[in-house]
Amino acid sequence: MFLNAVILILQEILEATLLISVLVVLTRLLQRLWPALLLRRRWVLAALGCGTAGAWLYAVFMPAIAEWFDYVGQDVVNALMQVVIILLLLLFSMLLRESFIARAPVLVSNLARLCIIIVVALVVTREGSEIILYVDGILGQPENITPVMLGGLMAAGIGLSSGVFLYFGLTTLRAKIAMRAALLLLALFAGNMAAQVVLLLTQADWLPYTAELWDSSGWLPEYSISGQLLYALIGYEATPSLLQASAYILAMLLIIVSPLFRKAWQYSEA
Amino acid sequence: MKRIVGLLCCLLPALPGVAAVPEIEIRIRDHLFFPAELEVPADTKIRLVVINEDATPEEFESYELNREKVIPGKAKAVIFIGPLKQGEYPFFGEFYPKTAQGKVFAK
Repeated sequence: MFLNAVILILQEILEATLLISVLVVLTRLLQRLWPALLLRRRWVLAALGCGTAGAWLYAVFMPAIAEWFDYVGQDVVNALMQVVIILLLLLFSMLLRESFIARAPVLVSNLARLCIIIVVALVVTREGSEIILYVDGILGQPENITPVMLGGLMAAGIGLSSGVFLYFGLTTLRAKIAMRAALLLLALFAGNMAAQVVLLLTQADWLPYTAELWDSSGWLPEYSISGQLLYALIGYEATPSLLQASAYILAMLLIIVSPLFRKAWQYSEA
Repeated sequence: MKRIVGLLCCLLPALPGVAAVPEIEIRIRDHLFFPAELEVPADTKIRLVVINEDATPEEFESYELNREKVIPGKAKAVIFIGPLKQGEYPFFGEFYPKTAQGKVFAK
């Protein structure tokens, strides 16, 4: 039970911690690229706070939401949250450009910060609600409480370390490489969200089935450790459908052609 | 809002090809799946109705089927799978994986 709890809770936490690390690195570098920008690190606490509250609310209303739309309500609502995340990331990438920042630095900073706060809050809401439901179920089983609590603590430790590891891994790189890595990870994250929307709506039968594009479960199964890590970081799928892959690539491209990406890609500290 | 959507959903079977989705029920009781092994026609979309009779939530998950859904306690969920090629597709309950295990056989 302990190991099960560690794996389960870690899976949920990892996506959030890795995203937060990437965004912290990105905002720090963007701060150096555009000194007029005010993207302080305090947004993380606000995001985590809102996310935790959201997770609790979502968990409480889950039984009711699950019945919507003929018992696929949960998939639809999760997909909606992912869509909002993608739109906010696109807004973030279109907002941060020379001309806007020069004209209204405070407004742009606040909007950009709001975007990433809501994005992180939504991710934490979605992942956190599953953890809350799981733990809530366990609380009714006295023999499982200790292993699950310890498992949760261990998962939190591993998740946190992974985030810290990624953060320091990125910041030790030269500024130009770190910026490019962070930008690419952001694009991949957007792609990941888009692919998940397609998967959720296919599960709910709101989107049609499309053929499997490839099957890489032979050399990197999803349930392996590397597979799980890659899934949390960039949404790796062993058997993605055509629609999933297309959505992934489309979202990724939208971020890559954005003003933020194109400008920040050229960043270097001489 | 729910009633309007519900009404629209009732009209869905009128669309060609939508009416004939086979439905299969799986129950979760004492962290076990009943039935643990299901046979479904291959190359057909299937409407899986998972009924969680336990008071605790369970997460229906399958890497092979590419499906994942948390089902709250004493609740019902619908998961569409397929069309599946012929073969075996294991699934499990992620919250209680030691006992909650099953397989879908597409024939």
